[in-house]
Amino acid sequence: MADIGYITLFLALVASIYSAIAFIFGAKGKHPTLTGSARNSLLAVCGLVSISVAVLVYALVTHDFQIEYVAAYTSRDTSLPYLLSALWAGNNGSLLFWGWLLSVFAAVVVLQKRDRNRELVPYASSIVMVTEAFFLILLLSASNPFHKLLPVPADGMGLNPLLENPGMILHPPILLAGYVGFAIPFAFAVAALLTRRLGDEWIIAVRRWALLAWLLLGVGNIIGAWWAYVELGWGGYWAWDPIENAGLMPWLVATAFLHSTMMQRRTGMLKVWNMVLVILTFSLVIFGTFLTRSGILSSVHTYAESALGPFLLAFFSIIIFGSLGLLYSRTKELKGDVEMKSLISREGAILLNNLLLVGAALAIFIGTVFPVISEAVRGVKVSIGAPFFNQVSGSIFLAIILLTGLCTLIGWRRASIKNLIGNFLWPLVAALVLGIGLFILGIKEWYALVAFSLCGFVLCTILYEWFRETRARHRMRAENYLKAFWGLIWANKPRYGGYIVHIAIILIAVGVIGSSVYDVEKEAALKPGESMAIKGYTLTYKGMDRYQTQSKLVVTATLSVYNEGKLIGELVPEKYFHRSYQQAVTEVAIRTTLLEDLYVILVGWDEDGTTAFKVLVNPLVNWIWIGGGVLVLGGLIAFGPGQDRYEYENKW
Amino acid sequence: MRRRRFLIGGLIVFLAAGYLGYIAFQRATIFYYTVSELLVQADSIHGQNVRVNGEVTPDSVEREAAGRILRFTIIDGEESLPVVYHGIVPDTFKAGSDVTIEGYLDSAGTFQAHTLMPKCPSRYVPSN
Repeated sequence: MADIGYITLFLALVASIYSAIAFIFGAKGKHPTLTGSARNSLLAVCGLVSISVAVLVYALVTHDFQIEYVAAYTSRDTSLPYLLSALWAGNNGSLLFWGWLLSVFAAVVVLQKRDRNRELVPYASSIVMVTEAFFLILLLSASNPFHKLLPVPADGMGLNPLLENPGMILHPPILLAGYVGFAIPFAFAVAALLTRRLGDEWIIAVRRWALLAWLLLGVGNIIGAWWAYVELGWGGYWAWDPIENAGLMPWLVATAFLHSTMMQRRTGMLKVWNMVLVILTFSLVIFGTFLTRSGILSSVHTYAESALGPFLLAFFSIIIFGSLGLLYSRTKELKGDVEMKSLISREGAILLNNLLLVGAALAIFIGTVFPVISEAVRGVKVSIGAPFFNQVSGSIFLAIILLTGLCTLIGWRRASIKNLIGNFLWPLVAALVLGIGLFILGIKEWYALVAFSLCGFVLCTILYEWFRETRARHRMRAENYLKAFWGLIWANKPRYGGYIVHIAIILIAVGVIGSSVYDVEKEAALKPGESMAIKGYTLTYKGMDRYQTQSKLVVTATLSVYNEGKLIGELVPEKYFHRSYQQAVTEVAIRTTLLEDLYVILVGWDEDGTTAFKVLVNPLVNWIWIGGGVLVLGGLIAFGPGQDRYEYENKW
Repeated sequence: MRRRRFLIGGLIVFLAAGYLGYIAFQRATIFYYTVSELLVQADSIHGQNVRVNGEVTPDSVEREAAGRILRFTIIDGEESLPVVYHGIVPDTFKAGSDVTIEGYLDSAGTFQAHTLMPKCPSRYVPSN
């Protein structure tokens, strides 16, 4: 069984190498049969890797403990969803998943673009096949998921209980899909460089792929943060852990890419910059893969140290230096013939937005790899603490939010000052009113006031823009406002999807600001009957309970929650002790409202019944998750076909 | 002319950002030692916030005050260091496993830790 899995991977490697070579020769020498066979070979790769994945999944579901991977991550009492998710729980399985996703995406591209982009597709597919071959080589050598055990164990180790959570089922595959998705835009960019088709063709070809990868990566990060919040139980959701950063950096650069490609399509500017961005994005993806799997940086996320490090580092170097070198050789042909007229324009705002995003990614990158560099150069090991990341990214992100608001109402080309003032008047007034209102309500910290007012400003600019455009359409077509608004979205899906994504970012920003600046925490040791107070809540400890289930011993502590004297609910934090795992698992209890979370951690207990709790109040934290949902909505809407006619030119 | 304005403006922004980043960087840099390295420097870094890496000695783990105070020793082969930790113990903390602690060495030679970061291979590879 395991052998089938391994052999299919080997066959896939052969097919992918053939495909990579045949695509190049077929396209260069204009041999359609060769290109056709390369295409079939690519589809075969997809089929073969799918068989391999199916074999591993089958082995997981049927408890085939002869395969080391199955024994390492499952046991006989693991439930079905977690048997399936064990596919990506460990290093080798997730690498197989990587290779499978890449082969599927490659297949979709060749099938989707059967009649389009005939010149770019062969080269792009070749690049993808080279990448696929690389990962297959890893899988066949250092990271074999089908490695067998002798003697065959009677039962497996079981899944680490910390991973038994719905978030853990979704977070890795979505994140990995986002990662892998960026291979496609990258491949098309390199194809454009190779074929010297340096106009908008490659950008238009990959718009949806870039958007899909960006959306998956963003959602994957948010789910990861949510899982950390509800499962890891330290009350936070982002620790600037190197692996978290590895998922954030490509996303920031990809956000810049989405904006600047929009600008290239409208104005013809930034051609070289777009190439750099997509190369940077995919390079960061490979670098992130390297960080996660090499063990070079200590992190709560790292898989056990493996031999993959040097391979991935080498591949990263080839990718980044190879593509940048190729880009350099084509720079003369890439120079745009359009110059930016004025910085006070949408072009200027997008350029600034790009610089800020890439700047943030750069700062995070430096902070993340500095420990390694410091050790290599000075022999001294240092760590970069969270304050650096918080301060730097906090300020940059606020600036980006401000830009988001300005961008909506600034016109293309040059905006006149009179125009600017006219557009911004109402949102600015609203933001000031909001700021004053918040001050009266008790928020005195200036940075919070500024940040919230900024968010309010941006929200108002978007809503104001919606109102103005709806009103214009209503007047033009005599539709009622509701119908006009719906029609607007329908006719301008990418743009309105973008607006909704901006709103989502604002919601997330509000959640982050609220929970970072105003979180309160308190520890208490209570005997049954005693109470503690925190921020208007009173929690009374009622007692402890224990019970056994099939796989674990559960200890619960019940607290009654009162708000200003009234009983509003009960919270039951737990700890449980798995039979097969030595470590305890803490389950926090959260009372969730739009305004704030009441978050209780069961810390421990003494023989005499004194039980220690840590209680936190996290204001506005749920706006982050709500924002995540809105992000998905906006992203999905943006997939719709865009307009070819640029209506902006009629407006300004 | 316009080009130069862009460049100068960009340079100013870049320098300002770089300076701010540098300051934040300096403040947030935390030195990282093994137990032996820490003890070698003991006198010069009393009270400084540092990180130390070592292995938790089995049988040295004690919990007090209903789990809110944790005492243990970490070793790195030769030297050992007593540690007192106030805070929530991460689920992944275990005797015998690798851990990085952050805090300061007090005058009595005990390390007062405020952050525990267990390195947990068992997160993705189960314990044996």
